[in-house]
Amino acid sequence: MTSRISKTQIDRLGARLRKGQVSESDLRLLEDYRRAFGEAYRSVVLTIRRQHGLEPTGRPSKSTSSVIEKLQRETIRLSQIQDIAGCRVVVTDVAEQERVVASLRALFPGASIVDRRKTPTYGYRAVHVIVEVNERLVEVQIRTTLQHLWAELSEKFSDVVDPTIKYGGGESEVRNLLLGRSELVSRLEKLEQEMLTPGRAVPEELKKELEGLKVDMTKSSADLKSIVGRLGRSRG
Amino acid sequence: MIFLIEYNRDEGRIVTLKQYPDDQRQAAEHARLEMELDLNRKRVFPEVVLLEATSEEALRRTHRRYFEDLKEIVKSSSGSGFR
Repeated sequence: MTSRISKTQIDRLGARLRKGQVSESDLRLLEDYRRAFGEAYRSVVLTIRRQHGLEPTGRPSKSTSSVIEKLQRETIRLSQIQDIAGCRVVVTDVAEQERVVASLRALFPGASIVDRRKTPTYGYRAVHVIVEVNERLVEVQIRTTLQHLWAELSEKFSDVVDPTIKYGGGESEVRNLLLGRSELVSRLEKLEQEMLTPGRAVPEELKKELEGLKVDMTKSSADLKSIVGRLGRSRG
Repeated sequence: MIFLIEYNRDEGRIVTLKQYPDDQRQAAEHARLEMELDLNRKRVFPEVVLLEATSEEALRRTHRRYFEDLKEIVKSSSGSGFR
């Protein structure tokens, strides 16, 4: 049944969802559309597990609320959404992230790479590998532990404080703190890469920079806790 | 393992969490659709999502926001970074 849904039907469905009109028949049609990604999704996840030994956490299909929010936030058609199906891999550091991305490139030669470390989206940093299988796209998110913790923080603030925070909206204090922290993580990861160069003694200036970063990160953490404490009090 | 999660975003907490073995994928998808239809009839719109992981522990690592409150995530975030 799923393969018979035309692109026109999908985009008309998207137009209705964008307006917030969610009928039972639309929910069923959306479910059929999402299930059409199942085979591609399973193929990608299985390949990563078998060939790479990694254990990705999968999200076989994007939630209805996330689909609707994306349609309302962007001028995108439903058939153009690239992350209907996806999975996530969290690795220790940037060096490991580079290795996994290179390996995925080899496993899926036609895949496109979106490097959000170079161009962060409102502070969000990660590498996304978009794989196409039988004309279906599957998004593989590869995050370092630090990038992942930042993303979880941003998502949680968006959940309980203001849904626009992760898209650059919300209270400036929270937004700026998240952006500042993302920049700190970026600097830290770059520094880590430099310091881990094999066979090279760590120069004094890098050690000093690391000490400075530790101070900045500690201050950022204190600011975060202060904001969360204030939010807790204001919510009773 | 397949996890069907109903998550209240405003409150930042899981409302229901159901688990299905990997070979019960169709049952999990069916349950997700039925849950969405039921919630839609009641005009409430939480996030309803299917996730797959080798264990709940693995899921908790990659999708903390469903399981931890803001304070816990801030604590995790603040406690890491320097090796």
